[in-house]
Amino acid sequence: MSSDQTAPMTRSSSPSEAKGFWSEAWRRFRGRKLSMAALGFVLFLVLVATFAPAIAGTKPVVCKYKGTIYFPCLSYFDRSLEPVIFAKDRFRGTYPANLAEKDPESWAIWPLVFQDPYRSVRDNEWPGEPANPARDQGKPSRRNLFGTDQYGVDVFAKMVHGTTVALLVGFVSMGLAGTIGITVGATAGYFGGWVDMLASRLIEVVMCIPTLVLILALVAFVDQPSIWKTMAIIGLTGWTGIARLARAEFLRLRSSEFVMAARAAGAGPLRIMLRHILPNALAPVLVPITFGIASAILIESSLSFLGFGPPPPSVSWGSLLNDARSNLQMWWLVVFPGVAIFLTVLSYNLVGEGLQEATDPRLREARK
Amino acid sequence: MVSYLIRRMALAVVTLVMITGIVYGLARAMPGTPLTIAIGETDPSRKLNPADIERMKKAYGLDKPWYTAYFVWVGNVARGDLGRSISRKQPVARLIGERIGPTLALSGSALLLTWVLSIPLGLYASARSGAVDERAVSFGLYVLYSFPTFVAALFLQIIFAVWLRDTAWELPLFGMRGDGITVESSWLARTTDMARHAILPVICQSYVSLAWYSRFIHANMQEVVRQDYIRTAKAKGAGPWRVLVHHGFRNTLIPLVTLLGLSLPALLGGSVIIEQIFTWPGMGRLFFESIRERDYPTIMGLTFMFSVLTLAGQLVADMLYAWVDPRVSVE
Repeated sequence: MSSDQTAPMTRSSSPSEAKGFWSEAWRRFRGRKLSMAALGFVLFLVLVATFAPAIAGTKPVVCKYKGTIYFPCLSYFDRSLEPVIFAKDRFRGTYPANLAEKDPESWAIWPLVFQDPYRSVRDNEWPGEPANPARDQGKPSRRNLFGTDQYGVDVFAKMVHGTTVALLVGFVSMGLAGTIGITVGATAGYFGGWVDMLASRLIEVVMCIPTLVLILALVAFVDQPSIWKTMAIIGLTGWTGIARLARAEFLRLRSSEFVMAARAAGAGPLRIMLRHILPNALAPVLVPITFGIASAILIESSLSFLGFGPPPPSVSWGSLLNDARSNLQMWWLVVFPGVAIFLTVLSYNLVGEGLQEATDPRLREARK
Repeated sequence: MVSYLIRRMALAVVTLVMITGIVYGLARAMPGTPLTIAIGETDPSRKLNPADIERMKKAYGLDKPWYTAYFVWVGNVARGDLGRSISRKQPVARLIGERIGPTLALSGSALLLTWVLSIPLGLYASARSGAVDERAVSFGLYVLYSFPTFVAALFLQIIFAVWLRDTAWELPLFGMRGDGITVESSWLARTTDMARHAILPVICQSYVSLAWYSRFIHANMQEVVRQDYIRTAKAKGAGPWRVLVHHGFRNTLIPLVTLLGLSLPALLGGSVIIEQIFTWPGMGRLFFESIRERDYPTIMGLTFMFSVLTLAGQLVADMLYAWVDPRVSVE
């Protein structure tokens, strides 16, 4: 719709001045070194999560077996991706010896670190390498970079594979919280009156219930905990701050001139809310979402830490810390996951702050 | 003023009914009942026979649907009765009374520590604003703010209870009382023992809010020092400290005072995670245990208390705001 956009008549004398809001914000964000470093760290985590099976695992990244190329490492993402032939040939998850024995012609490219996040590596599983040390013997070493837990499972492999959970928790739960929060806030702010009254009451009620209380009750409520249910619960409880901000923004913008113009042009409420107000209200709402990602990661790891996390086969940084509680002399079980959680939370907070400074005009003026 | 208070109270009661109703429904929907969980978990051989369970269900009102039971609960609360804990066979009010002391000791000292340290830190940051040392301190506070409490708790436990074991610096790993300390021990011995047990949890509970408050004060001061009256104060020759404390800081007290109101629920509610890590017998731990035991009366009693405190805290914050800032009126 071109009729409701102000034509860039007077300002377009030099093209560099006519930059949009977001490219301007990005330019300002780039100026903050710490926030950029934090963003870099988040991208690094995304890479680690994506390539986790190629970084640490006991299954070949690529292998040629009996004349065909396979990618057995993909089964770390989903069990069903494990090629059927290896089950038929009774590999039982042990690849190096079986590959050489059952097909001398085979070749394989192995992950960078031959360690499994779900089980201990056995003696001579990788030719010439001893088994992982178990109990409190698994100090960090050349083979086990971050040590091993009490069952001999490599902590580095667990952490690499747990990155996926840490990232997904933030994005999925805040995606959900953002959707609920913006919907409730937008409806309340745009329509006002009794709708606003009802929505505000709802926000207040959810805000008043202590978060952990609500989460613990919901966690106990779902029968079989899984990481997706945890994410849904964090999302369902964490939308109130977003809703409050969205409500304030919509309340402010609904009486502005461009909304009036859109209404005069015959746009319906849904169209006005989505096309006209939301893009203008997005920046202030994105900031609490970014901070929310940090707190979602914190909540997930504290839930796993308290023993309310997803059950054993799935790995999360918080559950590693939970193991450490009863084995405090194994300091490596605390230090590595603890620092990972801390750095991730710090990064999201720094990104959020950078976003805030880059998009909030009041803060910018205050800097002058 | 009075009509405002009445309106707020009425709204608060509506909110309270909604909160407790939701939590009651959730609690009853959790799998397992207090009878099956508490007894079955501790000793499988002592499982109750079905007839006994039916009899006890009736006694505790668990045979009714949750909404009926909820109205019974509301009626009892209105008459000042929070009910009896099912798993602990004690009145909920007495349980809360037992736990509130330890929580208050922990969160009270944490709050005190926060305020005593954060105001000088915030003022220092404002005075040195922009200098290298201020940026270092501010970044340090920021890092501290992002440091997860339970990670810090584990680090501190490793350092003070494992690495420094058998040295003068050793601190107890958890609990509130040492082994040798009984009721007969002297007052001094009991206090020092409890203080030694409280050091680590208090640190864990205060450092996040310390970082947050200092940053808050600093941010507010940055706003204030740009005002005209600060320039006037400087122009008339007031010293830097006088300008900062007397003219500047007094004006940041307004948002600070409202924060005090909002910290009320945390003061008495305690922290589930910290009390759980350090097995501190406080409110947070009681709540955690009562959820595990499906002890509905205790869950509800605590939820009721938390919600009343939160709502009261908000009201107090609004009232204080209107009181310290004459420009604001509650109407």
